Amino acid sequence: MFKLGAVLTGGLTAIMVTFNGVLAGNLDNFIALIIIHIVGLITVGAIILLKQKKFDFNKDIPFYYFTGGAFGVFLVFFNNITFNAIGVSLTLALGLLGQSVAAIIIDHFGLIGIKASRFDRRKIIGFGIIFAGIVFMIVGS
Amino acid sequence: MLYIFMAFIAGWLIVLSMIFNSNLAKKIGIFQSTLINYTVGLFVSGLLALVMNRQIDISLLEFNAIPWWAYLGGLVGVAIVSASNYIIPKIPVIYTTLLVYVGQLTFGLTLDYLSGFPISRNRLIGGTLIIIGLLYNFRIDQINTGEADYNTSIKT
Repeated sequence: MFKLGAVLTGGLTAIMVTFNGVLAGNLDNFIALIIIHIVGLITVGAIILLKQKKFDFNKDIPFYYFTGGAFGVFLVFFNNITFNAIGVSLTLALGLLGQSVAAIIIDHFGLIGIKASRFDRRKIIGFGIIFAGIVFMIVGS
Repeated sequence: MLYIFMAFIAGWLIVLSMIFNSNLAKKIGIFQSTLINYTVGLFVSGLLALVMNRQIDISLLEFNAIPWWAYLGGLVGVAIVSASNYIIPKIPVIYTTLLVYVGQLTFGLTLDYLSGFPISRNRLIGGTLIIIGLLYNFRIDQINTGEADYNTSIKT
């Protein structure tokens, strides 16, 4: 049941990238970014009010923890541009490859507070197959 | 080629924003951190819009000509955050990326088809190869660590 939920979460991601991409393609890239963030802010604000969540900033939180939203803006921006050029499935497939490479490098060197775990070279075969899949998708579009 | 590079960089941005947001969520709670995430995001978007499009005349944009659902991306984004927060701790981490990607691919191909990209044979082969590659690497992770200990890697 929860596994189906995980598949649906992936499906929602494809839907979100499509919605945002259509908005940016029809309006303007930067105005679209503002609208997307206002709508998200209203949604999460409503949830917080309904569930009466409290804020507690008394713990010592490193400043850079607050920068996730800034990376998120560029993520949405790049997704919107690539969506309108190459479609949603290829955008997500390339994103997955970028994500895997980033995860390997961060894990291997133990960057930004993640415990280091060495890269297993046998995984190069798996990444070769993934890369071949992406080449097929690019050729197929 | 530029688009391919951009989509690849987007993968890096996913990982970075995910690590920072999940760290913040552990400190102050998932919805609170999402609120901060969108607030910072709105501020940066506004700044970008000011810097990049000083010439734009908002009154010329045709806000009504766009299908209404296109405005709901931000809402879907919050739904994804809440759903992942609820679901992901309940399934073995090793399956997460795989299952999420299966959803992305099937919905992605369908949505591409609906927006005018045909579902070609090569696209299907490509998607299948990606899933095989993911399965292969997960098998290695399983052998190396056993399902229960595989917690260091990044979740999708």
